[in-house]
Amino acid sequence: MADDHWRALMMAAQTGDATAYRRLLVEVGSWLQSYYSRRLPSSMVEDAAQEVLLSLHTKRHTYDPAKPFGPWLAAIARYKWIDRLRAMKDSATEELPEEIPVRDPGEALHSARSLEALLERIKPAQANAIRLVKLEGLSIKEAAERLDQTIALVKVNIHRGLRQLSELAQEESREA
Amino acid sequence: MKLDFLIDQLAADLAPVRPRRFWVDASIMALVAVIELVLLFATGFAHLDIYRMMTQPTMGWRIVSLGVISLVSGSLAVRSFDPVYSARGALRWLALIIAICLASGIVMAGLPAGAASLMQRLDWRSGVQCAAKIVLLSMPPLLALAVLGRRGAPTDMRRTPLLIGLAAATWGAFVFIFACPFNDPLYIVVWYGVGCAIVTLACRFLLPRIARW
Repeated sequence: MADDHWRALMMAAQTGDATAYRRLLVEVGSWLQSYYSRRLPSSMVEDAAQEVLLSLHTKRHTYDPAKPFGPWLAAIARYKWIDRLRAMKDSATEELPEEIPVRDPGEALHSARSLEALLERIKPAQANAIRLVKLEGLSIKEAAERLDQTIALVKVNIHRGLRQLSELAQEESREA
Repeated sequence: MKLDFLIDQLAADLAPVRPRRFWVDASIMALVAVIELVLLFATGFAHLDIYRMMTQPTMGWRIVSLGVISLVSGSLAVRSFDPVYSARGALRWLALIIAICLASGIVMAGLPAGAASLMQRLDWRSGVQCAAKIVLLSMPPLLALAVLGRRGAPTDMRRTPLLIGLAAATWGAFVFIFACPFNDPLYIVVWYGVGCAIVTLACRFLLPRIARW
C-alpha cells in the first residue's frame, strides 16, 4: 500500500481535485480486488470492491489528512468484508447456482486457503456443511445426503457456522 | 469494466469536503447537552428545593458519578465515529469507573434493615416513574449522537452503539438529578440504573440494525 502517495491523492480529492481522485480510485480499486480475492469467493470480489469505493466516496470527509490513509481504507474494507460474511449467513439457506464462475484459479486458491484457515477454527460439522453448500455449490439436500445429516441440521450448521465465522473475522480484524 | 464505470461516475460526482473534526462533533454534543440542562431549569421542571438538596453529600456523588461517566462515554462515542478508532481498551477503563461509582453508592446506602425497609426505600411506583423520565431525557443526546454517528463512519457495531446508549442514558440521568426529589443512594443506584440500562441495552441491540452504512 503506497500510503504517502494515496494520502496526497486523498487530500487533493478532499479539496475537489477530480483527476487525483480518479487516480486514487483506480489504484485503490485494484488493491481492493486483491484484498477481497484472499477473503471472499471470486464471484463476490468485484461487488465488494465496488461497495468499498462507494463508501470511500460517501465517507471521504471522515478521512483525517493528518493521519495515514492505509489504516483508514483497511478499516472500511474490513467493515465491508464482515458485512459480506453476515450477508452470507443471512442467506445461508439459499441455494447457489449450479456453476460458479471462477475467473482466476490462482486467486481462487488463495481465497480458499484463507477461508480454510477460518473454517478450521469452527466445529467440523459446521465447517463441512459450509464447504459443501457455500464453497462447492451443492444444494442443501445433496449436502445432507453427503454428510448423513437431516436437511434441517445442515441448515442449522450453516447458519451457526457462518455466524461463528463472522465473529472470528471480526475478532481477527480488531486484533490486526 | 464495471469498476471503471463506477470510478468515472464517482470522479464526476466529486465535490470538495471539509474533513470531519473530533472537536466539532464534541462541541455539538456539548451544546445539545447544555441546552437540555438549561431548558430543564428555564421551564421550571427543576426541583423546588434544589439549593438545599445541593448541600447533601449524595448529591455530589450523583453529579460527579453521572457527569464523569457521561463525559467519558460521550467522548469515546464521538471518537468511535472514526473508522480506525477502536474503543476496546478504553471500555475496560469505563467499566472500572462505572463499578467504582456504583460501589461508592452502595457503600453510602448501607444495608436495609429488612425486606419491609427495602421495599419502602425502593418505592417502586416512584422508581418506575424516575426510570421512565431518565429514558425520556436521554432522547435528545441520543438523537444528536445518532445523527453524528450517521455522518461519521463507525466500524465497530458492538461498542459504538453501546457507548452512544451509555452516554445518552447517563446524561439523561444527570439532567434528571435536578428534578428528582429522592436522595437515598439505594433508590438512586437501583432506579437510575434501571433507566440507564434500558437506554444502553436498547441502543446496543437496536442501533446496529439501523446504523449500518
